Amino acid sequence: MRYSHASKAVVLSAALALTLSACGGGSTDSAGGEGDGSYVVTANTTEPQNGLLPANTNEVGGGRVMDLLFTGLVSYDAKGAPVNELAESIETTDSQNYTIKIKSGETFSDGSPVTAASFVDAWNFGAAAKNAQLNSYFFESIKGFDKVNAEKSTEDKMEGLKVVDDTTFTVELSQPESDFPLRLGYTAFMPLPEAAFEDPKAFGEKPVGNGPYKLTEWNHDVNLKMDVNENYDGPRKAANGGIDFKVYQSTDSAYQDLVSGNLDVLDQIPPSQLASYQSDLGDRSVNSPYAGNATITIPGYLDHFKQDEEGNLRRAAISRAIDRQLIIDKVYQGGKVIAKDFTAPVIEGYDDSLPGSEVLAFDADEAKKLWAEADKISEWDSGDEFSIGYNVDGAGNKEYVEAVVNQLKNNLGINATAKSFSSFKELRAKVTSYTMTGGFRTGWQADYPSLYNFLGPLFGTGAGSNDGKYSSKEFDDALAKGLAATDAAEGAKIFNQAQEILFKDLPAIPLWYQAVQGGWSENVSNVEFGWNGVPIYNEITGK
Amino acid sequence: MLSFMLKRIAQLIPVFIGATLLVYFLVFATPGNPIDALSGGKPMSDATRSALEAQYNLDKPFWVQYGLYLKNLVTFDLGTSFSGQEVSALLGRAFPVTARLAILALLIEGVFGVIFGVIAGMRKGKWFDSTILVASLIVIAVPTFVLGFVLQFVIGVKLEWVKPTVSGAATWGELFLPALVLGLVSLAYVVRLTRTSVIENKSADFVRTATAKGLSRNRVVSVHILRNSLIPVVTFLGADLGSLMGGAIVTEGIFNVPGVGHLLYQAIQKGETPTVVAIVGVLVIIFVVANLIVDMLYALLDPRIRYA
Amino acid sequence: MPENQNFNPEDGLPISKVRAGKVSKYKIEHFVAPLDETPLQAVDSVKETGKPLSMWAEAWRSLRKQPLFIISAVLILAVIVVAAFPQLFSSQDPTYCALENSNEPGRAGHIMGFNLQGCDIYARVIYGTRASLLVGIFTTLIVVVVGGALGALAGFYGGWIDAILARLGDIFFALPLILGAIIVMQLPAFRDNRSVWTVIVTLAIFGWPQLARITRGAVIEARDADYVKASRALGLSRFHSLVKHVIPNSLAPIIVVATVNLGVYIVAEATLSFLGVGLPPDVMSWGNDISLAQQQLRSNPMMLMWPALFLSVTVLSFIMLGDAVRDALDPKARKGA
Repeated sequence: MRYSHASKAVVLSAALALTLSACGGGSTDSAGGEGDGSYVVTANTTEPQNGLLPANTNEVGGGRVMDLLFTGLVSYDAKGAPVNELAESIETTDSQNYTIKIKSGETFSDGSPVTAASFVDAWNFGAAAKNAQLNSYFFESIKGFDKVNAEKSTEDKMEGLKVVDDTTFTVELSQPESDFPLRLGYTAFMPLPEAAFEDPKAFGEKPVGNGPYKLTEWNHDVNLKMDVNENYDGPRKAANGGIDFKVYQSTDSAYQDLVSGNLDVLDQIPPSQLASYQSDLGDRSVNSPYAGNATITIPGYLDHFKQDEEGNLRRAAISRAIDRQLIIDKVYQGGKVIAKDFTAPVIEGYDDSLPGSEVLAFDADEAKKLWAEADKISEWDSGDEFSIGYNVDGAGNKEYVEAVVNQLKNNLGINATAKSFSSFKELRAKVTSYTMTGGFRTGWQADYPSLYNFLGPLFGTGAGSNDGKYSSKEFDDALAKGLAATDAAEGAKIFNQAQEILFKDLPAIPLWYQAVQGGWSENVSNVEFGWNGVPIYNEITGK
Repeated sequence: MLSFMLKRIAQLIPVFIGATLLVYFLVFATPGNPIDALSGGKPMSDATRSALEAQYNLDKPFWVQYGLYLKNLVTFDLGTSFSGQEVSALLGRAFPVTARLAILALLIEGVFGVIFGVIAGMRKGKWFDSTILVASLIVIAVPTFVLGFVLQFVIGVKLEWVKPTVSGAATWGELFLPALVLGLVSLAYVVRLTRTSVIENKSADFVRTATAKGLSRNRVVSVHILRNSLIPVVTFLGADLGSLMGGAIVTEGIFNVPGVGHLLYQAIQKGETPTVVAIVGVLVIIFVVANLIVDMLYALLDPRIRYA
Repeated sequence: MPENQNFNPEDGLPISKVRAGKVSKYKIEHFVAPLDETPLQAVDSVKETGKPLSMWAEAWRSLRKQPLFIISAVLILAVIVVAAFPQLFSSQDPTYCALENSNEPGRAGHIMGFNLQGCDIYARVIYGTRASLLVGIFTTLIVVVVGGALGALAGFYGGWIDAILARLGDIFFALPLILGAIIVMQLPAFRDNRSVWTVIVTLAIFGWPQLARITRGAVIEARDADYVKASRALGLSRFHSLVKHVIPNSLAPIIVVATVNLGVYIVAEATLSFLGVGLPPDVMSWGNDISLAQQQLRSNPMMLMWPALFLSVTVLSFIMLGDAVRDALDPKARKGA
């Protein structure tokens, strides 16, 4: 056996499957700018992990393609605000029953019409357990989901979805949820032509959509070629002649291609180049925050960290012992934004000065004090180890977790260690079976731009991604109240009040908000990144 | 000779079954559930999870899984990846690319390794020998990812002699630089092996005889010394071919070569058993065949070696 | 000096048929061609049955006079001292890392500067010596003993022994280190006691087939040599002729591969750490530091340079030692020197 000098050059995006959806650009007038509208833009991507079906695409590689390939009821503008695409109107009086009218005369790129049934059938397909779609949980709010998504269920029609006529359908949820319309721009909610249901697997290889682009070629592990869809007439009309997505195994190699002019758009500067990309690229680069965050979860089932006074004191001490800004400056060269809450700043309703958020501010003395107070309740044995787990197959995890651990060592004087796991799936297996022996790295990428998306799935009692087994009646009630609010601003206010509870209990310790560092070549202009960190591909023009 | 070859080829069957069984078990035993990698940490209902497990046979006991795999194998069905592609199609795309890469690397190692080794050996202790020693040390101590990165940056980005990454076609020309990087560590082995053999043989009696007979120095070196020095080199190269094919993960990553190493690494991290098993199965066959060729070469290089 | 050439009975035979070079290598050749030696030595050899002893003894006598050997031995000794008593060479605490110092250049008390996490590079290199040296030496030793023994048996006896051992090697060769290492490290005995030794065993498990293959090739080359046939004709058992004649004549490629392996294993340890199954986090090593340096290659190349330099010097000294030992074992080279 010859050992390869394996390295972090091998960066896996697979294990860090992020749920992202490319966003819609607001301004159509940019298409008429001075740029070359026939230029075919080359951009980096990763190989889509699954066949290209809306309800089965849950990671960036497939997500960015799907969002150019399909268009749903709404899309999101650069700020994350929903813009109507196919929706004529989405109406509700009680946040539980929605009547959706779609534009008439719209077609898929193969000429078949987009009707109300295209949506209802696609959603039913996505929700049914027998189809084993990865995004099925997105439909869980719809009435009847529990029947089609039960073990061994053969049903695939949710009672909450009803086609009224060709351009109208109704949705009944099992409880009021005011942010439901916000979700409708996510990939999972895209319509599908009838042909898709005959042979979903074949369709996934050669998808036919209704978005600004159509897929003409997919050479696996090499590239995906997208042509402009002339039938598309929405807010995201293409300002270029097509997109050629090149599949890269690592952003390091993509970066070298970018610098040497063989790639037009790179959506992520590799960690090894963070210190030098600005001098390499000059004004052809951007550092912009997007709707994601990084946190450390210290589960409430650990000794000394129970959901009680001692646990809360210790978690607060750890939070205050971390000098987040220093890590951002040294490890990320400024490529993150210090966290002030549990959500992200690009989300509507975000507030950077919520009462209680001072627990996220670095203060070594206060940290020691809090730790000592906790010691009075129950002594922390100096031999005890406090570990933070991370998976080694995600780029940069080791660096920041070690930096945090060193600060805990130096600022709290405890025996802190970074504990490595060989893969994301190994770490998640321990996390989801609640058998971790220490804290661990967590993070969240918004599926759709909403405060609730950062709170409900993560900290609601029994929620799917509640890794720390956090449970608070008070918090659950606040969430329910926020969801039932009929006004989005009112809902945001209640969600922010719910966050004040989290600041006391710290079920996760927010570190920073994600920001994307991207770059582009001299061949293109008008490169902008959306609310979710994905370039707004349709607006890019040639020079 | 023929019966020897047939016997060796017959050995492939137990070796193949043994290797696939072992690898199947190893992937089965890796910690974590592949479904967690698929879901990416996002929530998933129990019903969806069990539907997925059933789809990939993950809900069955190990022996049933392996049995099903073997059953499909008989009909040349290698299974499907999580992305819904035929594993045979994945291999069909990746193996030719990696084969070109590995063969190029092997040629570079073999040709340059032997030439440098002979010169270093013939001029033991002189400046060329010392330079080669220092170069070997650098190659050993500086990992591939650093050397690859530096070469890519200098030759691809600064000098622009070649494109920094390999295109989907992965032509021989594009693969030269990656192959050089891939073969460097092995090159150090080949140089030192050749050098040592040459030193050992250059004072041998048959060399003196050949020289005494008035043969030219070139002929003595190339025929008499070299031929007698090649057995360890050939052994090493034969064993290295398979490692080059399976172990090119880092090099393939640096130069974005769509080959086997990347496929294998991803499949292992995802827990995608059919892909891992198929790759290892092919690698085992390559190892067995490469060793058979090496053994044939022994007989060619040293006629005293005979096979029944 | 080259008297044996003139008296060699095989002189003049077609070279392709005779590996005369091997014949004249060790004392035992004198059974075949006793004419070329001084009578005293020839008589000595006949009286003793443990000839290889005198070969080793002679090798040692020549070895200790070689400058190459003396230099390498001193260097290796120095590295061992650093590994055993790192605190003598650095007053800094290698585990104290303050991010404020991240990537700072060298200054008084911290001559090599700091790494990304703000740890003292020099202290880490010094304290990393122990783990790296242990991994390098012991992995190499295990691989040489296990791989060498299995390879020698396979090559010498051939037949079904060869078939089983070589095919077993093929299977191990084809197993990806990544997969194997992750699994091995999950075994309870390994998982709960992660240390230098678990790394050594893991590397050795996946390293032995390479050396087995090299040894097998060398043994196949040597087993049909005339001096081996002669020793058998003189009544030595097969096993004895393997141990006493074939293996000593097959050592050169083994030494070469083993000395290069030493360095490769030290770096390979980083591969395991990269996979999350390497040394425990509080144990420092060169391999780990070299692998960490990758991200900082453009901003702080010193992070790579220092551990790589120490590693190079260590490997260099072992390569020189290997060369010296090989020369000492080869009587012709000795006479020629």
